[in-house]
Amino acid sequence: MIGSWELALIVLSAVIVTVYGIVVGLFLLGIDRKLAAHMQARVGPPIRQPFIDLRKLLIKENVVPDNAIAWIFNLAPVVALASSIVILLYLPIGSIYPPLGAYGDLILVMYLLTIPALCMVAGGFASGSPYASIGAQREMVTMIAYEFPLAIVVVAVAWRLAAAGIQDPFTLGSIAAHPIWSVAGPLGIVGGLLLLLVMAAVTPAELSRIPFDTQEAETELAGGLLVEYSGKNLAMFSLSQGVKTLVMAAIVVAIFIPWNISSLVLLPEGVALVADLLFFLGKVILVMFFSVSLVRVAMARFQINQVVSVFWIYLGLIGLVGLLLLMADAALPAAGVII
Amino acid sequence: MSEGEGKKAPYTLPIGPTHPALKEPVMFTFQMEGETIKDVDFAPGQTHRGIEWMGMRRNPVQIVHLTDRICGICGVVHTLSFCLAVEQIAEIEVPERADYIRVIVHELERVQSHLLWAGVAAHELGFDSLLHLTWRVREQAMDVIENITGNRVNYGIVQVGGVRRDITPEQHPLIEECLTTYEGLLSSLLDLFLDDRSIHMRCRDRGILTYDDAVHLCTVGPTSRASGVNMDLRQDYPYAAYGDLDVRAILPDQYAGETRGDVYDRIVVRLLEVGQSCGIIRQCLSEMPAGEITAEPKIAKLLAVCKKAHGEAIGRVEAPRGECLHYVRMDGKESPTSWKVKASSYSNLMSWIPMLRGEQIADIPIIVASIDPCLSCTDRVAVIRGGRRNILTKEELHRLSVEATRRLQA
Amino acid sequence: MSSLPMIPELLRQLMRKPATNLFPAKYLPPSVTEFLHSVASGKAHLTPPVKTPPKFRGKIEYQKDGCIGCGLCVKVCPSHAIELLPETKRIRIWVDQCIFCSQCTDMCPKGGLRMTDEFLLATEDRYEENLIVE
Repeated sequence: MIGSWELALIVLSAVIVTVYGIVVGLFLLGIDRKLAAHMQARVGPPIRQPFIDLRKLLIKENVVPDNAIAWIFNLAPVVALASSIVILLYLPIGSIYPPLGAYGDLILVMYLLTIPALCMVAGGFASGSPYASIGAQREMVTMIAYEFPLAIVVVAVAWRLAAAGIQDPFTLGSIAAHPIWSVAGPLGIVGGLLLLLVMAAVTPAELSRIPFDTQEAETELAGGLLVEYSGKNLAMFSLSQGVKTLVMAAIVVAIFIPWNISSLVLLPEGVALVADLLFFLGKVILVMFFSVSLVRVAMARFQINQVVSVFWIYLGLIGLVGLLLLMADAALPAAGVII
Repeated sequence: MSEGEGKKAPYTLPIGPTHPALKEPVMFTFQMEGETIKDVDFAPGQTHRGIEWMGMRRNPVQIVHLTDRICGICGVVHTLSFCLAVEQIAEIEVPERADYIRVIVHELERVQSHLLWAGVAAHELGFDSLLHLTWRVREQAMDVIENITGNRVNYGIVQVGGVRRDITPEQHPLIEECLTTYEGLLSSLLDLFLDDRSIHMRCRDRGILTYDDAVHLCTVGPTSRASGVNMDLRQDYPYAAYGDLDVRAILPDQYAGETRGDVYDRIVVRLLEVGQSCGIIRQCLSEMPAGEITAEPKIAKLLAVCKKAHGEAIGRVEAPRGECLHYVRMDGKESPTSWKVKASSYSNLMSWIPMLRGEQIADIPIIVASIDPCLSCTDRVAVIRGGRRNILTKEELHRLSVEATRRLQA
Repeated sequence: MSSLPMIPELLRQLMRKPATNLFPAKYLPPSVTEFLHSVASGKAHLTPPVKTPPKFRGKIEYQKDGCIGCGLCVKVCPSHAIELLPETKRIRIWVDQCIFCSQCTDMCPKGGLRMTDEFLLATEDRYEENLIVE
């Protein structure tokens, strides 16, 4: 059983992580917009723009359409935001051990990741607008499409760690403590790179960004899922979008680039914590730049059937090849073959 | 998996009159099955502005500035085609130099219009970086136009009898520089649009308009040329200085070696036409004869000539979107008795239906944009009586037209 | 990157200066009026708009002295923006209605009308003093 002292600590750190997640999430959205703008030869909005937008949304009227199912319509954004924050509690941030790290692993995170998406689906269907319904259908299809490659990545990494004899291979703590690159041999590193590629493609789909933003598709569905949302509800969704950006980047960081400054350079404890946090933020921005900002300005939007074939055929195959390479990497030295 | 849809029941999807996919108002009603379009109907006429009514209460010199404002992009084609009609009626001989200046501005307009379209098309595909890129490079054409005419959009350079401003020798290097930029840019624009995998996936074999459909629906301009119809007013019925210039219709097989009549081919035709226009302007600049720029520099005298004119005529111009036509009838009064504008999009709108049928929701924006619709140019009639809109059938329209002709002849 | 030719172009652009002209300021000021006041008092800097070309058609200028009140400008104005005042035999131009076609300046036998390069005329009041030229 959990002691009361331990519980208080978890609650306290949960509050800190929540605030941190929201602030950093919005900040990430601002950076994303700024980077995209500069790539398009524009100045773009200031980095604090998401905060300004949030403030504006919070003072705006919250319109619920007449033919909407009001309780689902209003509940969806709250659950979406709450669940995306909960995921953050399972992820290592810098050198801080996740507050709920001991109570869940990567499989749980994978399940939790579907909740914000499901909330958007529920909210979309509850809006009673044809655009939102089409958006909701597309969101479901997209979700089914990217879950498969995502699962391959998670299983492959955990399997390789298990093959190397590491305890609890699915917990993020041990994944972060034993980077795949240091465990695997040359074949495994190639496999790991392929998995990183798959993960980089899953990220924009999870965040519904171009080229996988068919569910919102501004020019087709006028915002799709979110078309009827306004005011506080929309603010909640935009917050959860920010937090989700942080979550996805943090997952990529935890699996593929988990190193901390403090483990490389010897620093006094207080400084190390701050340095690690900043380093973590740097890694998150790097991941976001390559898998979100750059991709979303460099491509046209896919059609929904193209999204499915990209994930199931191309990325599925790449993921499977990565998995096979990792397996071969573990099996070959054991069989006495020297590479 | 090809559809990826659980729900298959047919439903209706309204798009319009205002929607992010549409840059101008038009009302689409789609009969959908999952993501696939089963049938489509559209209702234009949402932006009728009564321009012809205004024109019939003004003299030709004033109408010229009204025609400038029929379209927000084609600032010169409507004016030119109106002037061509009036000049035929009033038997005004346009000086050769004016014809060349008209062609130069006309082609600069085609350059900026096609670049604008390319940007819009990219935006419809969700490719905003290309939108920003093409619109950024388009600025140079706008700057040159502004320098020649005095305004970016409402040029006001064409007047009945000629043009209002000459192109001075100091302006030549400016235009040359712009042309060099575009000729250099063209290959990279072709690369960015046509070699891009994601654009290819979205545009190849989408929104196909067959050669037969293109001919039967009387489509014009790049829309018909992309389906392999070899027609271009500048080649078939040269006006202004085009008779002296060698203009050949651009067809998609010149680039890709085949004609499929899809959205991709329409991108090909428009981008190649940018290069062609640069060549035409270059030729005009070197061959432009010296001389007067207008048949009648005194506006008061011009008004008197127009007031005496009797007769009717049609002015035809190859606008960036296709053939644009103005019918004018003058009966010795200050203002024309009848003035009818047929914008190029009017002929192209019906091609939406065969293009859209069987495609997906995701294709709607790009297919709708692919004919470069200009609805404020097109919308001419809106019948509203007692607060209700009526749709006129073909028979009713025919009867009304016969009555109108009788009235005019009486 | 041959299948995504935009990427090199984007990365190159990331290192370059944006093409935007930062008029009137880098970011939209919370209140434009207040911003203009602080520019006037020298507290803020206003980035000028893109320069207009030599023969730009901007706000009209009227030389009352040479005017003979012939009314030709009224006759050619497409938007009926010019009014001939019968008592003084002079004209009044409603700039809010003017479409900047410059037809009246071409027409004027005395050359008393001229287009300036002033174009920042947006306002909330169409009868503002700045928008009536006489």
